[in-house]
Amino acid sequence: MNCEEYRQALIEDPTFSGGKAHLAECKECQAFRASFLEFESRIEAALHIPVPPLKMPELPAIESSEESADKIDRKNVVAIKPRVRVSAPAWLAVAASVALVVMLGVQMFGGHGHGEYSSLAEEIVAHLDHEPQALRVTDRPVSDARLARIVPADMANLNHDAGLITYARNCEINGNIVPHLVIQGKKGPVTVILLPDERVLEAEILDGEGINGMLIPVGDGSIAIIGEKDEELDSIRDNLVNSVAWST
Amino acid sequence: MDSSTTGAARRRRFDQLVSVYHQDMYRYAAWLSRDKAIAEDVVQEALLRAWKSLDALRDEAAAKQWLLTIVRRENARWFERRRLDTVDVDDLTPSQEALLAERPNEAVDEVREAIYRLDDDYREPLVLQVLMGYSTNEIAELMEIKQGAVLTRLHRARHKLKDQIEKDAASVGEDNGL
Repeated sequence: MNCEEYRQALIEDPTFSGGKAHLAECKECQAFRASFLEFESRIEAALHIPVPPLKMPELPAIESSEESADKIDRKNVVAIKPRVRVSAPAWLAVAASVALVVMLGVQMFGGHGHGEYSSLAEEIVAHLDHEPQALRVTDRPVSDARLARIVPADMANLNHDAGLITYARNCEINGNIVPHLVIQGKKGPVTVILLPDERVLEAEILDGEGINGMLIPVGDGSIAIIGEKDEELDSIRDNLVNSVAWST
Repeated sequence: MDSSTTGAARRRRFDQLVSVYHQDMYRYAAWLSRDKAIAEDVVQEALLRAWKSLDALRDEAAAKQWLLTIVRRENARWFERRRLDTVDVDDLTPSQEALLAERPNEAVDEVREAIYRLDDDYREPLVLQVLMGYSTNEIAELMEIKQGAVLTRLHRARHKLKDQIEKDAASVGEDNGL
């Protein structure tokens, strides 16, 4: 790989991590990469304009697929196949005390309560304080065998596209034993908790002291993603959508 | 399954998609239109259209691309209906100014203003790549141009941004007598 090819690859994909041999011996490209990534982070920050609350338009009644089967090409109608994805950036640690602010309300299906916690979100965030050792910055992945044990195939299909998974353990959330994973992102560890039995109606944004997170609906379940305050969670969510598929 | 149950399931599916992708839809619309009020209109129209054609979405994994494509078309329709001229950054309406003034921060502001000044052809692929995480191939598909053209536009977009920021910095220096 020469300088032109390396720079072209970086422009094509700012997350490009190949060409290490060329990079190691080319000071010009090292400088180019540092400058390029610094500028990228400025562009990204500038593009992240705040989003006003959702104003749902009045939705007209629609004939169901079954009622209008004679009008719709059945090949275009498929069952929902909920998926979620995970990826990169992350955080360093969770503040010891969390002032949880629920920005968007979430409505739960199903009945059980959350014990001493007022919501699923609050229980999840509180859980992070119970396992601070999970939040190490490391490049050592959990073994495939362990990952397969914690995230069995009959629950979800999680592949390596999800990112570098450095922690995997079964934990109890709201009475269910669920996978608690940590994925190393660009900035540090990101906590991901898979909740195949916790259905939520809409995404919930968690904004606490020192943390930033989201609880997103995925089919009949949901996934919690939590990073540090300035974490860019959209890309993490997008990667999860490509990597996780409930098989229930 | 009776029709009310089916309707509820459909609505639930739609609400889930919207809750996950609403932010992406709005930001994409805002950077396409460069106007907060128009972006909100475009998103409303896009939501309606998505609701009506939800059954055409065959794979949930393609939901983001599907919704952004709808936003793109609704944005084009909006401008087609009103035939608005391109705006100059020095002559903005309050709603356009609001987009630039969202987060007062000098370092971010200068880049945001430079992005705002970019031609649509350069701004859109940049937004799709940096904000939406699209590959150049996906951008090419959405914008219906060749992948090589996407690469060229991305390259030029970054150059134009840098030039603009440097020009602005030089102009501030002159104003300050430097």
